[in-house]
Amino acid sequence: MAPRTAVIGTGRARLPGATGGDQSALERFFSTSAGRIGSRLVLVALILLVWEYAPVPRATRFWMSSPSLILGTLWDWLFDGTIWAHLGSTLLVMSEGYVIGCAAGIGFGFLLGFFPRLSRVLAPLLASFYALPKIALAPLFVILLGVDNSSKVALVAVTVFFLVLTSTIDGVRAVDRNTVNALVLMGATRTEIIRKVLIWAALPWIFTGMRIAVRYAFTTTLLAELIAANRGLGFLIELSSGNFNTTGAYAAIMVVIICSVLLTELLSRLENRMSHWNQKFTPRSAPPSTAIA
Amino acid sequence: MNEMSTARAVAGAAGTPAKIRLLRAEKTFQVRGQDIEALHPTDLDIRPHEFIALVGPSGCGKSTILNMIAGLMRPTAGEVLYDGQAVTGPNRRVGYMTQKDTLLPWRTTKDNIRIALELKSHATPRAEADDRVRQMIELVGLKGFENHTPAELSGGMRKRAAMARTLIYEPETLLMDEPFGALDSQLKLLMLDQLQSLTQHRRMTVVFVTHDLGEAITLSDRIVVLSARPGRIRAIHDVRLERPRDVFKVRFTPAFSEQHERLWDELKDDIIKGTDV
Amino acid sequence: MAEGQRTRPADASRFGRDNILIWQVALVAGLLAAWEFFGRFGGGDQVSSPSRIINRIVIWLGGELYPHLFTTLGELSCGMAIGCSLGALVGLVLGRMPIVSIILRPIIVGLYSVPLVTLAPLFIMFFGLGLLPKIVLVSIVTFFLLFFNTFTGAQQVDEDYLRTLDLMGASKFEQFRKVVAPATAVWIVGGIKIALPYALVATITGELLATRSGLGFLISRAAERFDMTSLYAVLLILMALGLLLSETALRLEHRFLRWREAAE
Repeated sequence: MAPRTAVIGTGRARLPGATGGDQSALERFFSTSAGRIGSRLVLVALILLVWEYAPVPRATRFWMSSPSLILGTLWDWLFDGTIWAHLGSTLLVMSEGYVIGCAAGIGFGFLLGFFPRLSRVLAPLLASFYALPKIALAPLFVILLGVDNSSKVALVAVTVFFLVLTSTIDGVRAVDRNTVNALVLMGATRTEIIRKVLIWAALPWIFTGMRIAVRYAFTTTLLAELIAANRGLGFLIELSSGNFNTTGAYAAIMVVIICSVLLTELLSRLENRMSHWNQKFTPRSAPPSTAIA
Repeated sequence: MNEMSTARAVAGAAGTPAKIRLLRAEKTFQVRGQDIEALHPTDLDIRPHEFIALVGPSGCGKSTILNMIAGLMRPTAGEVLYDGQAVTGPNRRVGYMTQKDTLLPWRTTKDNIRIALELKSHATPRAEADDRVRQMIELVGLKGFENHTPAELSGGMRKRAAMARTLIYEPETLLMDEPFGALDSQLKLLMLDQLQSLTQHRRMTVVFVTHDLGEAITLSDRIVVLSARPGRIRAIHDVRLERPRDVFKVRFTPAFSEQHERLWDELKDDIIKGTDV
Repeated sequence: MAEGQRTRPADASRFGRDNILIWQVALVAGLLAAWEFFGRFGGGDQVSSPSRIINRIVIWLGGELYPHLFTTLGELSCGMAIGCSLGALVGLVLGRMPIVSIILRPIIVGLYSVPLVTLAPLFIMFFGLGLLPKIVLVSIVTFFLLFFNTFTGAQQVDEDYLRTLDLMGASKFEQFRKVVAPATAVWIVGGIKIALPYALVATITGELLATRSGLGFLISRAAERFDMTSLYAVLLILMALGLLLSETALRLEHRFLRWREAAE
C-alpha cells in the first residue's frame, strides 16, 4: 500500500475515493463525459431489457407489463387524441390556477409587507392554513364548485397563493430600511416608494417564489385530478388503475414523468437566464435559491 | 451634574438662533418588555452652517440623535426643533447618509442620482434634471460612469454616487452616520476632502457621527463627546483649526495632535468600559 | 414603510405584544361570529357553523375519532420510519461511492422531480384498500427525499476529518461511523423535516382515493354525504395535526442543531 502522506488543510469537500493519488482505470473511465453518458445508457438499457424479457410467471407479467406494451399504448394514445385531450386539460387547469394564485399572492404579499402589524396579526392564521395539506380541501372545493375544472383551478390557486405570498412578504421585508428612509427624507410619497423601490427590490424574491410554485401547481393539478375529475393526466392514471389496466397506468405515469422532466429542465434554464441577468445588479442580500423544491 | 451646563452651548454668535435644538430630548426603547434608555435627556444647540461631529462609543445615542433630527424617530420626551419648529415628521430639509450606500441596484449611476428629482416633491422638468445630474456627476468625479450599475462601481465610487444623490436636491442640512466607516484610509481622506469642499461651498449645516476622532477633528467646528448607557453629552469641544483645512496635511499639525489627545483622554474610559462588556 | 407610521422600532409597541394578541383574538372572534350568524340565518347547509362544528368534534372526541386518527398517524409513522431509514442508509452508502454517484446523479435528479404522490392509484391497484398502499406510498416519497438529502450530505463530508482519522489508522468502517455518519446526520434531520409535510400529503391523498379508515376517509365520507359539518370538522383536525407535526419537526431540528453548534 502506498504510504499515506498528510495533506490536511485543504478542507474542500471533494468526491470521496480519490486518495489524492492514482485513480484506477475504472475511475478514469467514468470521469470522461463519454464514459458517464455511456454507462447511464447501458444502465437504462439493461433495466429495459430485463423488464421486457425477464421470464416471469403470467401473473407477475400482468402486474409488471413491459416496455413494448407501454410504448404501444402511448403510441395509440398519441394518435387517438387521448394524450392531447388529457394533457391539455391538465395544462389548462395548471396555468389558470397558477396565474390566479400568483396574482393574489403577490398582491396580498405586498399588502402584508407594507403593514407589518397586519401581517403579524394574521400570521398564526396563515400558518394554520399553511400546515393543512391542501389536497384535503379537494373534496370541499368539488362540493362548492362542481367536478369540473373550477374546483381544480381553485385548489391549485390556493396552493400557489400561499407559496407566492410567503416569498413576496420576504421580498418586501428584505428591503433595506435605510434606502426607504433616504427616499422618505427626499419627500417621496408612499406610492412613489412602492413604485420606485419596493416592487423592484422584492422582485427577485417574488420570482423565486413563482418558480417554486410552478412545480407545486403541476403536482396539485395532478392530485386534484386523481381525487375527483373527469379529465386530465391524473384522471388518466386513476382511470387506468381503477380498471386494473396496468399498462395504461404505467403509460399515463410515463407521460407525467416526461412532462415533469421537461418542466424541470425549462425551469432550470429559466433560472440560469435570470441569474445571469441578476449578476448585473447583484442584489445586496441575495434571495434564496431553489434548492430542494 | 454639570454635564448639563457643560453641554448647554451658547446659541451661536449673538442673536443667531440655533438651526437645530434638542431640548431635554430623550429616547427610550422597549425591548422585550424592558425599557432601554438610549438617550438621556439632552440639550444641544447646533448653529446654522456649522459642521458638528458627534463622537462616542456604541450605544451612546449618536444615531438616535440623527434619527430624531431627521424626524424618523420621535423623542420619548422633550423636543427636537428645526428652525425653531418641532420636528413632527420626516424632515425634508435634511439629507441623510449612512454607512451602507443605499443606491438602488437596478438603476444606473445617473438614474440613481436623479431619483430625488423624479419625485413629486422636487419635480423638475426632464431637461433641467438631466443637466443637474450631469453637473453633480462632474462634481463628484464620476464622469464616464453614468451608465454603470452600482454593482459595477467600486466602494469609493458608490459613496460618491450616494453623496451626489443626497446633495442633488440641495438639502440645507446634512446628517451623516459613519458614512466612511467601511472605506480604507486613503479613500477616506479623499472623501473627507470632497465632503468638506461640497459642504463648505454650499454653506450646509452638517451633523456628522463618527467613531474616528481624526475624522471629527479634521472636518468639524465643534465636537460633541457622548458617553454610553445611557447616552448623554459629556462635553463639547471647539476645534481651533483654521479653515480652509488641508485634509491630507492637517493631521500632522501640532494643534491637531493636541486636540486629538484631549479628546482621546475623554473617550478612553468609556471605550475601555465598553470593550469589557 | 408606511408614511403615516414613522420608523419607530420597539417604540411602536407601547402596548407591546398585547396589542397584537388583542387584534388576533378580535379577528378570529369576529370571523367565527360572522360564520355563526351566516350559518344560522343565511347559507343553509353548505355553510354549517362553528357551533355545530365544535359540537361534532366534541362528539367525535368521545370515541369515534380515534380509530381514524390512529390509522392516519400509523400509516404516516410506518411509512416515514421505513422511508427515512432506507433512504438515509442508501444515501449514505451510495454517497460514498464516487462512481455510482456520478453515474446515477442525473437519473436521480430527474426522478426526484416527478410528483411521486401521483403513483397512489398504482399502489392501490397493487395492494388493495387497506393500510399497505398508503404505507408504501409514504415510504417511497420519504425514501426519495431522505435519499437525496443524505446522498448530497454524504458527498460533502469534509475530507480533512477523514484524513485525520485515516492517519490514525482507522478502518474505512470506523471512519464511516465516526465522521461520515454524524456529519451526515444534519442532512438527515433536515431531510426528515422536509419529508414530514410531504408524507402527510401522501397519506391523506391515499386515504382520499380509497380506504376504509383514516382522516382522509372521514373527509371522503363526509363529502359523499354532503355533510359539511363533518367535513369542516375534519379539516380543522387536520390543520391541528399539521401544525403539531411541523412544531415537532422544528423541535427535533433544534435539538440536533444545539449539539452541532456546541461541537463547533
